[in-house]
Amino acid sequence: MTASPKIAYVGMTHLGLCSSISAASKGFETLGVDLDPDLVAKLEKGDLPVNEPELDDLLRDNRQRIVFTTEPDKLAGCDVIYVAPDVPTDDTGASDLGKLDQLLALVVEHARADAVIVVLSQVPPGFTRARQRPGRPIYYQVETLVFGRAVERATRPERFIVGSPADPSEPLPAAMLTYLEAFGCPILPMRLESAELAKISINCCLVASVTVANTLAELCERIGADWSEIVPALKLDARIGPRSYLAPGLGIAGGNLERDLATVMRFSEAHGTDAGLVRAFVANSRHRKDWPLRVIHSEILANLPEARLGVLGLAYKENTHSVKNSPSLAFIRHLGPWPIQVYDPVVPASAAPHPSVTGAASALAAADGVDALAVMTPWAEFRELPLDDLAKRMRGRLVLDPYRVFDPKAAHAAGLDHRTLGVAA
Amino acid sequence: MLTHTYDTPKAPERVVVIGANGFVGSTIVSELTKAGIPVRGLTRKEVDLLSSEGAQRLLAELKPTDAVVFVSAIAPAKNSDQMIANLHMAQTALRAFAAVPPAHLLYISSDAVYADDANPVTERSPLAPSTTHGMMHAARELMFKSDGKSPFVALRPTLIYGANDPHSGYGPNRFRRQAASGEPITLFGEGEEQRDHVAVEDVARLAVRILQHRSVGALNAVTGVATSFADIARLVADNFDPAAVVKPLPRTQPRPHLLHRFFDITECYKAFANFHFERLADGLARVHREAAAQAEGAGELRRSA
Repeated sequence: MTASPKIAYVGMTHLGLCSSISAASKGFETLGVDLDPDLVAKLEKGDLPVNEPELDDLLRDNRQRIVFTTEPDKLAGCDVIYVAPDVPTDDTGASDLGKLDQLLALVVEHARADAVIVVLSQVPPGFTRARQRPGRPIYYQVETLVFGRAVERATRPERFIVGSPADPSEPLPAAMLTYLEAFGCPILPMRLESAELAKISINCCLVASVTVANTLAELCERIGADWSEIVPALKLDARIGPRSYLAPGLGIAGGNLERDLATVMRFSEAHGTDAGLVRAFVANSRHRKDWPLRVIHSEILANLPEARLGVLGLAYKENTHSVKNSPSLAFIRHLGPWPIQVYDPVVPASAAPHPSVTGAASALAAADGVDALAVMTPWAEFRELPLDDLAKRMRGRLVLDPYRVFDPKAAHAAGLDHRTLGVAA
Repeated sequence: MLTHTYDTPKAPERVVVIGANGFVGSTIVSELTKAGIPVRGLTRKEVDLLSSEGAQRLLAELKPTDAVVFVSAIAPAKNSDQMIANLHMAQTALRAFAAVPPAHLLYISSDAVYADDANPVTERSPLAPSTTHGMMHAARELMFKSDGKSPFVALRPTLIYGANDPHSGYGPNRFRRQAASGEPITLFGEGEEQRDHVAVEDVARLAVRILQHRSVGALNAVTGVATSFADIARLVADNFDPAAVVKPLPRTQPRPHLLHRFFDITECYKAFANFHFERLADGLARVHREAAAQAEGAGELRRSA
C-alpha cells in the first residue's frame, strides 16, 4: 500500500459522484467508475448530472486528482473501493439488489487481493454478511446523503459508521483508516449487521420526529394552537435538539425513508418482533399526504361544483425538476373534474396527471380567476409573490399553503383565507 | 379502498337488487331507475333466502351479465340467532351465485364492522366488530369475497337517516317522530356524543356510482362530519313550527366510553371526486318536508277512503 491510499467509487450515482469528488478534495487520488460511457464522457468534461451546491466548484478545484472511467480493470490500482449504485425499490418499498450484486461481482473480480471493498449503497441487514467469501472480506459503510446538502455531508461528515466482517474491536484495514481519518470525525466500527441496522435506525429516528410533528400539528389545527410556536420550545430542549426534524409536512417525503420503514416491517414479520410503531408512522404519513385534498373538498369543492383551481409547483421539492413522489402530482391526480391552472419554474404543465390542465406563464397568472390556489412546492420565488396582487387576481379567497411559503399574517392582510399545516384557519 | 374496473362510468346491463323492499334497497332501486339503469328488485315474497327453495328461486332470476346488489338482512342482528339467520341468507345466495356468478357483486355492509375506537375510521381500519350485528356484516363480506367468483365490493354505511326509515333508533328518525307527535325530543344525558349520519339517498347514489364503475374493494358511506346528538336534535326541532322542545334525560347507563366517532373520507374523494354528501342540516330539512308531505298524502287518502 502506498502512504496515501488510492480510492475508487463504483457507480457514479448522486452518492457515488459526491463521495468521489469529496475524496479527491481531501487529497486522495480517486477513480470514478461507471459502466455508462455517456455518463463517463460527460463527467470527464466536467458536466455533472446532479445539481448540488458547491459540487461544480469542488470538482473543478480537484480535477487533477480524479479520473472517470468505464474500465473496471483500472480498479487494480486502487486500495479502497466503494460500491455505490442506486438500489431501486418497488411499490412495496422492497429493494432490487440485482444491480448492486452485479457491480460487486465486477469489483471482486478486478480488485487486488489486498484492496478493501466497501458497500456504500443502502442494503437490508444481512446483505453484506451473505456476500463474504474466504479471503475476500467485504465491508459496509453507512451513507447519510441529503439531497441539496450532499457536498456538506460528504466533506464534513458527523461520523463514519463502518460495518466490519471481522471482530469490530480489531483495527480497520490501514488504507481504509488512513482515508477515513482524513475527514477528522469519529469512526465507529461495528459488526456488519449493526452498521446496516444503524442506517435504518437513523432514518427511523428522523421519521419518528417528523411523525410527532405531523401528529401534533394536526391537533394544533383543531384546537387553536400553532405548531410553529411550539417548535422553538422543543428545539431548545437538549433532549430533543436544535436540528431535530420537527417541520410538519405532507407525510414522509423521500423513497429512502419509506424503504427503511418497509425493511423494518418485513424483518419484524420474519423474526416475530413488534413493528406497530413503524406501521403507525406509515399510516400517519398516508393520512397527512392527503391534507390538501381534504381541505379543498371540504372548503371549496363540496359547495362549488364549477370551481376553478390553481396549483403552484409540480416538482417533489424545490430546486429540482424531479416529480417522483411529488405531493403536488398526487393532489392533482384527484382533481380530474375541475379545470386547473398550474405553474412551476422548471416542470412543464404536461407533467400534471390531469385531463384539463393549463400551463400558466407565471405564478401570478396561475392565480387568475381561480377559486382556490394550492402552493404545493416551496420554491423560493413563490415566497416573493405580492400577495395583494395575487388576491386581486383570484376569484376566491382560499389558499392552501402546507409548507408556509407565504407569511400567514401577510396572507390574511391581503384578504386571503390562508390554510397551512399546524395551525387553525 | 376502491378500484374501478371502468374509469369512465358504464351502465350495467341490469342490476338485481336482493332486498328491494327495504329502506336502503328501495332507495337504491329508485336511484338506479333515475339513472336509467334496468333494475330487477327482489323482495322476500319473491325470494325468501331462509326458505328451502330460496337458492332455486334466486337462480331462476339471475343472468350472468347481471350486477347484483345484496342488501337483504334481518337488521340490526341483535343476537346470535339473528346473526346466524343472516349468514344463512348469504349462504343461500352464494349457492345461486355458484351456478350463475354475477358480473359484479355489491354488498351493503355497515360501519359496525370496525372497532369502536378506530378513530378516525378509514377503509384501511381493521375489521374488528364489537357487536353481533357488526360480526354478521364482517362475516358476510368474507363469505362473498372468499366463496364468490364475482368482482366484489362492500359499501359500509354509517348511521342512515331518511323519511322512510322503519327503525326508530336513537337519532334523527326518532327525534323527528317524537317532535311530529308533539312529544319533546329526548336526549340521553346532554347528547354530547358525536356521530356521522348519512342520508339514505347518498348511500344509494354511491351504490349507483360503484355499479357504473364496476368498482371492487370497500368504501365507507359516511359524510366525514360528526355531529353531536344534541345538535342533531336542535336541527330537527327547528324544522317544526313552533320549534320542538329538546329535553335531556338522565342517563340510565354510564356515558359511553367512546364519546365520539370520526371518519376520514379521503378514499371517497379519490374514488368519486365530484361526489359530495348532502349537509346534515339540508338533509334533515329535506326529510322533514318529505315526511310532512307523506303525512299529508296519507291524511288525504284516509279522508278519500
